[in-house]
Amino acid sequence: MSGTSADPARHASADPARRASADPARRELDARVLAWMREARWEPGGADEARFDSLARELFAFQYERCAPYRRLCRARGATPEAIRSWREIPPVPTGAFKEMALRSFPERDTVHTFRTSGTGAGARGELHLDTLALYEASLLPTFERHVLPDLAPGERMPILVLAPSRAEVPDSSLSHMFDVVVRQRGAPGSGFDLDLDRVIRRLGEARGPLALCGTAFAFVHLLERLEARDARLALPPGSRAMETGGFKGRAREVPRAELQARIEERLGLAPERVVNQYGMTELASQFYDSVLRYPGEARRKLGPPWARVRLLDPESGKDVARDAPGIVAVLDLANTGSVLALETADLGRRVGDGFELLGREPGAEARGCSIAADQMLEGAP
Amino acid sequence: MTAATPRAVAEALARLREAGAALRRRPARETLDALARVLELWRDPASEPRRALEKELPDATGFHPATVREGLARALAPWSGEALRALVEREVGGPDALDGRGPLLAGGFETTALLLAGVLPAPTLLAMLAPLALRSPVLVKPSQHDPVTARLVAGSLAEVDPGLGRCAAVVRFAGGDEACAAALLEADCVVATGSDETVAAVAARVRPPRRLVACGHRLSLAAFGPGALGGGALDDAARRLALDTALWDQLGCLSPLALYGVGDAAASERVGEALARALADAEGRWPRGRIPPEAAALASRERSLAEMRGARVWQGDGARWSVVCAGDARPRPAPLYRFLHVHPVAHAAALVEAIRPHGPHLACVALEGFGRETRALARALGGLGASRICWPGEMQSPPLAWRRDNRGVLEPLARFSDLE
Repeated sequence: MSGTSADPARHASADPARRASADPARRELDARVLAWMREARWEPGGADEARFDSLARELFAFQYERCAPYRRLCRARGATPEAIRSWREIPPVPTGAFKEMALRSFPERDTVHTFRTSGTGAGARGELHLDTLALYEASLLPTFERHVLPDLAPGERMPILVLAPSRAEVPDSSLSHMFDVVVRQRGAPGSGFDLDLDRVIRRLGEARGPLALCGTAFAFVHLLERLEARDARLALPPGSRAMETGGFKGRAREVPRAELQARIEERLGLAPERVVNQYGMTELASQFYDSVLRYPGEARRKLGPPWARVRLLDPESGKDVARDAPGIVAVLDLANTGSVLALETADLGRRVGDGFELLGREPGAEARGCSIAADQMLEGAP
Repeated sequence: MTAATPRAVAEALARLREAGAALRRRPARETLDALARVLELWRDPASEPRRALEKELPDATGFHPATVREGLARALAPWSGEALRALVEREVGGPDALDGRGPLLAGGFETTALLLAGVLPAPTLLAMLAPLALRSPVLVKPSQHDPVTARLVAGSLAEVDPGLGRCAAVVRFAGGDEACAAALLEADCVVATGSDETVAAVAARVRPPRRLVACGHRLSLAAFGPGALGGGALDDAARRLALDTALWDQLGCLSPLALYGVGDAAASERVGEALARALADAEGRWPRGRIPPEAAALASRERSLAEMRGARVWQGDGARWSVVCAGDARPRPAPLYRFLHVHPVAHAAALVEAIRPHGPHLACVALEGFGRETRALARALGGLGASRICWPGEMQSPPLAWRRDNRGVLEPLARFSDLE
């Protein structure tokens, strides 16, 4: 696989998919966010609060003007650019909205790419429309480097093996796009996508130096099952690491994260502190990663870049929960300049230090009601 | 109650076989009389088990005490001892058939296991009494969300008739305890309630000659016709539907999840407004109980999506109830816990088409304001799968003999022989 060493954001004017917006206000906002992303030194947490707040409120005002469905939501909440005093008052959009309406803050004709959520279940797929890939790519790379490749020197490369379909196979997958950027920018020769489990196992067994094995959690489960069926155990070279992402929605069964880590340790020889879970979604340009490689020995928590912040919301009041209470994860991502910056996910989380952790559902929990579950109600719907 | 072991479950089943044999030596009428007394005991708000249930259920389930009181009063009102006798007569030929006299021979299985789900108490009561009416002893695994009702029902059986009491046992174990489940599924008849997935998982393990009675999840709906779209008629219908919605916080299979208004968008908004007023009033009388964060989050998301579509949204203080004008008849997620979508439909035929996607899971439809069209509409909805059509305000008071899932209460648990 051939690599390109240049920062994709620098090609903004040369590549149509990465060109600057025709809207001057947007161009100015993008430039400021990109400048932040290019800064060599940043740490997660509450750093640069004033900078984030200022950019977030300006971006909110911009999107309020240009995205009609978002404006309707904000008006219903009394949240106008004039009324907002802090980024914490910016109303988040449920991620489900991307399934039923186009959330663009640019003219439809300027769309250069559309990412779609995975097509699990009977429901529609969510769509994120982009008029530039520049911010998307500029955001993902430094965060990945910081949390999955923290031990690599600038410009250093590592073999990166990806258990996912390639960008060419699924051009509308944001995950494949992300891996593609990562492999091109930081992958050593031999890096790339591979879903042929036998070949992957052979390559892992032959590895003589540290590598990064990345993929969807479900792809990891398939790989582990193949190893378990053969009763095979691999010991990946010291310094190797795994990065897994995604849930099990629409799959026949779920594997709890702790079990997945234990099986990775048993079959691939990677201790849990070498396994990083990524929390991301199609609707967001930025991602969050487990802190274990970046901050070894500290409590595992999810950390993101400073231009993306997490709120944990009380589902009944919509306000921030108390410090240690669980809440609905809402993300404000300044890299989402072309859509909406504030998203409310369907996930529950809890604050851990300067990051957060995701809370799973109680295993084996049954519905309280004998009335049908909410999403099942939609099965068979036209 | 501590969690049972596989051995304890097997031993309970063995004891039930012995107790069942003794019960079947007694005249069926004697058992029926005892069960009728049990039902009457439960109908009496001053009785010991009823008071215990009203006291313990709110903490165990999260329902507000006032909701439990009103819900029990309305659910149990039609469930008299006389209604039970009539049910046995109608479905299995009465005590004579059960005692082997007459041309029809009827009886239950040697043992019946109940895998209960959900959080409503009345279905648990009926589920336990039905096999006993056929003199089949019951081994009950209660719902993880209601550890109270089955225990109290078993206690009331023992109090009224110790022999009958020996024919009911309650065992608790975790949902994933395969060994305990295997011991329970040794019963001759298995009644499995829960989600379609749960029921399918049980069905895969229960093979003939054992019988499986599957009770999957169901949903209910309501529709207002031209005669209930304005004025006092609308307010009255909305008030009654708010009661149906408030009771059991919309968690029962007879709780309305959506309301269809036959008329234009303006009519739909009038209906939404009336319903919002009625739900606010209901909240004052029967406050909503605990809500899991996932459900509250889903409700919040649904309100946000509606606002983004430009739809009218009403909600109570602290989002304790919500009404959303959906704008079209497309099915929408149902967050439950007092959340209603109001869908406009142009006419009765369009109503039937709008409800058709729900047919496989449909239980009850409450109709109001359809005048002479009501019977034809009821037939059409019955054709989709609705096993009950009623007025708003009566959804939570099904008759004892309601043919849920288009089948009887006792018949699925019984074996019959026609003597020629």
